[in-house]
Amino acid sequence: MKRVQFTINGDLYEREIHEHRTLLHVLREEIGLTGTKEGCGAGECGACTIIMNGVPINACLVLAVEADGTEIETVEGESKSGRLSPVQEAFDRHHAVQCGFCTPGMLMTIKDLLQRYPKPSREQIIEGIEGNFCRCTGYEQIIEAVLDATGQLEEKGEIKHA
Amino acid sequence: MTHEFSYHAPGSLDEALALLSEYGEKAAVLSGGTDLLVNIRAGLSRPEYVIDIKKIPELKALSYDPEDGLHIGACVTVNELLEYEPIAESFAVLYAAGAELATHQLRHRATPVGNIVTASPCGDMSSPLLCLEAEVVIVSQNSTRRVALREFITGVKTTVLAPTEIVKEIFVPPTYAGAQAGYQKLKRIKGHDLGVVAVALVKHNGSFRIGINSAAPTPLLLPDFAAGTPVEEVQKAAAKAISPIDDVRCTKEYRAFMVGVYIERLMKEVGA
Ligand code: FES
Ligand code: FES
Repeated sequence: MKRVQFTINGDLYEREIHEHRTLLHVLREEIGLTGTKEGCGAGECGACTIIMNGVPINACLVLAVEADGTEIETVEGESKSGRLSPVQEAFDRHHAVQCGFCTPGMLMTIKDLLQRYPKPSREQIIEGIEGNFCRCTGYEQIIEAVLDATGQLEEKGEIKHA
Repeated sequence: MTHEFSYHAPGSLDEALALLSEYGEKAAVLSGGTDLLVNIRAGLSRPEYVIDIKKIPELKALSYDPEDGLHIGACVTVNELLEYEPIAESFAVLYAAGAELATHQLRHRATPVGNIVTASPCGDMSSPLLCLEAEVVIVSQNSTRRVALREFITGVKTTVLAPTEIVKEIFVPPTYAGAQAGYQKLKRIKGHDLGVVAVALVKHNGSFRIGINSAAPTPLLLPDFAAGTPVEEVQKAAAKAISPIDDVRCTKEYRAFMVGVYIERLMKEVGA
């Protein structure tokens, strides 16, 4: 067992944890933040994507002990104020959530993407979510939601042409 | 992860090497963890001690000097490599291959050194680094040795690395800096899959060389071709050198066919 400390969505957590446990399992099972999902557990599906020290990573491939002293952002932080974030609202409007299993990881990937490209092109969005599987939507609604959240859609849902 | 182990994060290389010499085969070195943790979870690796080397400052070193060459420390991530300007400027083949490696999230953890040490036939870093004549700098408690990458990887996921050794860095000589190059990789889905087959081409001083992944037990480097060698001749030489297999991703015939296709495309693209 090792004592670790990290900040999650702005709150400080201190825990005694088993050294072999992944950050994903500790987040979900010990801290109770079950927003972040486990799909493959092997770095392929992106359902476990969180932001650690400012960059998106697969929480299934990080040991919780490795996260000691880090700053973590998870999907729970998106609506901490009690209101959905603009991207979450756009997901809602565009039916970008079906079963919802990919959504928490997708939202964190998109959060990072928008930090790098505040108005991403369609190609940048597609490229940006390469590490997140969605088995329901066919991705189109997700792409539209991001375009909408960044003010790049006309009222009727048409893509603006410059 | 059901398999239990104890975790150590030494702050210096000496400390890490002392731990490795004490624990030997019972220990596994952890850097990005994108292979190790997958293997532990799958029961393929059952270390008693996991030694995280990310707290060792010198393993984060990344430098390039036109005289001295390129040094990629063991804990430099693929994204850090891609963001390092000299890579896009002078090592086009590494840049192209790095950008093809797995996904954005994974590239924030995965390291070029780890990619080499895993020694998978489909490791994206291997064939480009073979083309660039990279060397692997290996340290243990009482020695340092340099091994050419082509001798470092000995088979499918096997290398010359002893359990008490750590790869400190990959060294790329300046010989091919600025060379025109390309990398083509076939995968079933962008980002989510191991490469089906990949070809790297580096052009240099009136000749060009070709590296191939996923078409033999180890990544391959073909002998140099003179500029202007006809495509068919290069394709023939490649067909002779490879020994592809059938697997879940595709048949050996398709792999062999695509090696030929990529050779032709790269020769056109790079103007070899
Ligand atoms: S659960 Fe982590 S990538 Fe699939
Ligand atoms: S909404 Fe079901 S996987 Fe994306």
